[in-house]
Amino acid sequence: MIRGAPAAVNAPLPSSISLAATDCLTAFGDARQTHRALLESRRALAFHPVLGGDGGDPVPLALAAGHAYDETVPPSWLEPLAGLAARLPDDPWGTARFPVFVTSSNFGVGSLHAFRRTGDARHLRYGTPFATVEVLRERFGWGPNVAVVSHACVSAHLGLLLATRSLERGLATRALVFSFDFVSPFVAGGFHALKILNAGLPAPYSAAGTTGSIGLGDGAAFAVLAPAAGGARPALRLTAQTLHNEMHHFTANRSDGAGFAACLAPVQTTLARRRFWIKGHGTGTLEAGRLEAATLARLFPSAPLVAWKGSLGHTLGSCGLVELAIVGEALRAGMVPGTVGTEPPFFSDAVAAEPFPSRDYDGVLLTSNAFGGAHAACFLSHD
Amino acid sequence: MIERHLHAVRTDAPADESIAATRERLAGAFPRGSTRRMTQLGLLLGGVLSDLATGEDDAIVYASTYAETRALEDYLVSFPTPSPTLFQTSIHPSAIQQVLIARQQPVREFFPHTGRDQLVAHALQSAALAAAPRVIVCGGEEHGTWLAEQNAASPHAFAFAFALSVDPAGAVGHLRLESTDSPTGELALPEFFNALHQRSPLSRDVAPGLRLTLTWR
Repeated sequence: MIRGAPAAVNAPLPSSISLAATDCLTAFGDARQTHRALLESRRALAFHPVLGGDGGDPVPLALAAGHAYDETVPPSWLEPLAGLAARLPDDPWGTARFPVFVTSSNFGVGSLHAFRRTGDARHLRYGTPFATVEVLRERFGWGPNVAVVSHACVSAHLGLLLATRSLERGLATRALVFSFDFVSPFVAGGFHALKILNAGLPAPYSAAGTTGSIGLGDGAAFAVLAPAAGGARPALRLTAQTLHNEMHHFTANRSDGAGFAACLAPVQTTLARRRFWIKGHGTGTLEAGRLEAATLARLFPSAPLVAWKGSLGHTLGSCGLVELAIVGEALRAGMVPGTVGTEPPFFSDAVAAEPFPSRDYDGVLLTSNAFGGAHAACFLSHD
Repeated sequence: MIERHLHAVRTDAPADESIAATRERLAGAFPRGSTRRMTQLGLLLGGVLSDLATGEDDAIVYASTYAETRALEDYLVSFPTPSPTLFQTSIHPSAIQQVLIARQQPVREFFPHTGRDQLVAHALQSAALAAAPRVIVCGGEEHGTWLAEQNAASPHAFAFAFALSVDPAGAVGHLRLESTDSPTGELALPEFFNALHQRSPLSRDVAPGLRLTLTWR
């Protein structure tokens, strides 16, 4: 029985959590295809009318193969997502010892927009978060032990942290974090209304322009986490995770960058002895990009900084997991893609625009940010 | 097995109260001028959280199946000229963000859960596993209009909040989560709210392999 503080556990704490398997789905394909495209500095973003069949301004979107931007019944993203799920390790997911943590910012909300637009009530089967997850659960053969978390663009990080805690407390044998976000007129219309999704292409961390621009992209990914068994040293280990919520403004950070630093403060000691590079958030907005790059350069001056949303678009609540899968592939291949789509001068000298080998490093810091001044970061260690 | 004590349990069941009436009733719970753009769910949660004095080191676990129903409905109606304000307000964690931004209260860990049949189980498990010494657990719904007619929104409005800790001093209730062999289990948010509102005990399987026992002093 646990009566004490959460540090008291009823199972041995693993020395670290192993990233046992991971993959993703982007407009380029799986993690291997996406990594290769990023190394070649290719952009998946292309211009589409923001309201799809209803027209509107052209905005940069990166849509996965098979995904029709105007929602269908069933949603056209379901088959590509099933293709990703088919690559999951064969475990009894959704049962008591094999929990699933589904994270998303959008779920099937594009279907609500389609219902409103067409009046076709069949769209409603996919319109609420629980309904969408139920469709996935039935389709993928998962049991009902599926926790669902939605915290805008840091959603995937929360799934990783909750899965880690379940493993650390001995409540799970292996845990699956599964994230998906597919772009629809609902979400593109919102970012367009906020004027950050516009006729420009994103140039993460670039100080060359006067207007910030983001792109939006389809993204889905999974990560299977497991305890490091029997003192073994797994190849990829999640060794630190941290969160912070500024609660300063809905769509802006504190102007001194304090929120970025507050998130990273608990892991600074861990990171001080490591040689690592940083996969940043880097959406292409000016103020957030400046704050992020400046804070990271101040805290970790020797760590190169890259971001991939200039190519893939912002994959929203799934970005943390999509980019983790690409990091995993970069480490396997030994080559880290640079910051695609950007141009100097940069907000910091640490911004790496070109690919570089991973062999000189033993870790990667992955960061994401969201509405409400939400910040999340995790550290991936490797040999 | 994980055990925690409940402190400062607060509930609000406003029935069919209008947003304007909720805003007027709860105005004292917010800084002056901050409620004008708040949703009903944000107002209700601000009300039940008003005397919990959330601190930066508390963790917050939030549970809602439908969350910002009215903002979502109005945002959808705003097409083909979508409203930026309604878009940002319609996101799942918005109600808590409205409350804490009004207070300018940062918080390190914030876990907004959604779902239905296992929502309570997973939210309570997140709270029990949090590293923070005190965890604020809160949740609720606002009633929808045209989406509720399609069973895609809550027909009722309610909100709750309480603090969970290992400290029994001053506790009003006790919560236990234990592992079981059960392959099933469920507890939806309205039923959990009723147990809190009426101080009713609960003992049941709430998710595969997880049993909840809630008792009151």
